[in-house]
Amino acid sequence: MSNRTLPRLLQTPAVILLLIWMLVPLSLTLYFSFIRYVLNNLRRPEWTTPSFSNWRGFGNYEFVLNSKDFLLAIQNSLFIVGSILFLTVALGVLIAVMINKAFPGQGIVRVLLISPFFVMPAVNAVLWINMILDPVLGLQGLAVAGINDLIASLQGAPVVGWFFSLWPEIEPISFRATQTSAIAVIIMVTWQWTPFAVLIFMTSLQSEDQQQKEAAVLDGAGTWSQFRFLTLPHLGRPIAIVVMIQAIFHLSLYAEIEIVSRGNGNKNLPYLIGEFANNNIGAASATGIFAVILANIVAIFLLRMIGKTLME
Amino acid sequence: MAIVATTTKFSVYGRPVLAWIVGLLFFFPIFWLVLTSFKTDADAVKPEFLFFFTPTLDNYLNMTENYDYWRFATNSVITSVFATIFALAVGIPSAYAMAFNPSRATKDVLMWMLSTKMLPAAAVLYPMTFLTKSLGLFDTHFMVIVVLMLINLPIVIWMLFTYFKEIPKDIIEAGQMDGVNTWGEVKEILIPLAWGGIASTALLCFIFCWNEAYWTVRLTTTEAATLSKLIEGNRAPEGLFFGRLSAVSAAAVGPIVVLGWFCQKQLVQGLTFGAVK
Repeated sequence: MSNRTLPRLLQTPAVILLLIWMLVPLSLTLYFSFIRYVLNNLRRPEWTTPSFSNWRGFGNYEFVLNSKDFLLAIQNSLFIVGSILFLTVALGVLIAVMINKAFPGQGIVRVLLISPFFVMPAVNAVLWINMILDPVLGLQGLAVAGINDLIASLQGAPVVGWFFSLWPEIEPISFRATQTSAIAVIIMVTWQWTPFAVLIFMTSLQSEDQQQKEAAVLDGAGTWSQFRFLTLPHLGRPIAIVVMIQAIFHLSLYAEIEIVSRGNGNKNLPYLIGEFANNNIGAASATGIFAVILANIVAIFLLRMIGKTLME
Repeated sequence: MAIVATTTKFSVYGRPVLAWIVGLLFFFPIFWLVLTSFKTDADAVKPEFLFFFTPTLDNYLNMTENYDYWRFATNSVITSVFATIFALAVGIPSAYAMAFNPSRATKDVLMWMLSTKMLPAAAVLYPMTFLTKSLGLFDTHFMVIVVLMLINLPIVIWMLFTYFKEIPKDIIEAGQMDGVNTWGEVKEILIPLAWGGIASTALLCFIFCWNEAYWTVRLTTTEAATLSKLIEGNRAPEGLFFGRLSAVSAAAVGPIVVLGWFCQKQLVQGLTFGAVK
């Protein structure tokens, strides 16, 4: 055995485990996506066991493509992930630039700011949808009710009462409806992941060339042009990394959607798969393959773009 | 000159105040969760008790009765600890091999490992359920541990790889000259030198395992169910149990948030694979 064979062998367990983890379930998904396979069907009991004799070809794919939820789910997936990426990066850069310079209590602010990142997704969703965003009992509901009460009491006041009587009563927003629950998911995930972006941008800002900045100030560059031409380019690489890591986590976003959007039509691809999987395994598998294709497009794009910088 | 130009009134007073406001805003939901956990279920939804109320510990004292908290917590600890140990046991040799004996394929292997993370879990939802059920592993600690280990393995290997790469190759080679075998190299040179990196990798892996909410929810019912499953199962109380739900939620995230405070620096280096320092 040569000097290097053993070290090379050491990496095989990890490779084999990941290969099995990737290939076995995925090939089953591929197989199920081409056959008729349902969990319950009294008229056609033969469909309830997977078998090649139930071959359906691309039938499941056609079924999924024609279902009205499919395009909606893709659209929703992209809307949710895209919004989260945009908001976390924008807020992250803003906050990082703001708290980068030393000030009293910087360490404590850092700790306060990073905390949401460690909250488990299930708690995150339960906390926001119930205690904060609930239109009646959450903070939102209480705040809206408080403002309405205030306006109502002002309407009875002398002289200015007529002015406040022109004010409409404020309606709280229900975040459990189809349109708004996607917003709720975006709010809670942005809350959780902005701290992560801030932390990374802050770390990167500490290595920013200060001499260059001072030279720019001497040349009369304002705060904005310093930010635009020095800070932002410096953050290019960390921004790319934040986008990639978040894309990895959010493409399979599930717990938040499941908790917020019980049956109200706000579906993303993972949610749609879960719904199909209650009975129609063939359709669930075909949707799964679509999800894999979508993830691959994103992955190839991101790894091409960012992978090289990681390897340097 | 430069100093004069940057020391405006805003940067002396405005910036710190703004920073504190942002920090407090982000922390507020967690503060609110903890605050609500000390209210009775009835008080928790009354506006007059928003900030001033008679605090009670009942929600915490009745956690076992209301939610069987400790059983789920024990499951979370068992599965996260063992998944982390196994991930390190497989990850350390692998990262060692790639960092110190790289081949031409090493880069591709690393990229491929990362790409397995991008495979949407939902795509293999039914096959995984099918496989675990037919192997009799559904709702067992073993299965949860294996899955948690596998989904975190790519990140673990990447993190370890970036830490190991920092160690000068000469030290390892000097060991080889002295006739130390591979196991000796790992045990006597690598692990002592990379101890900090290994510890932060373990911590981060543990946090991810603890918070995982797809497979732990889908592959368990009662026996091996973790805290994610517990909270997910009680997700829609419609205002009835805000107090007790807050208490159990705070108990589920508290230890991890505190743990996270201690490893935030390592988190940056680890999760950006050493690209941001």
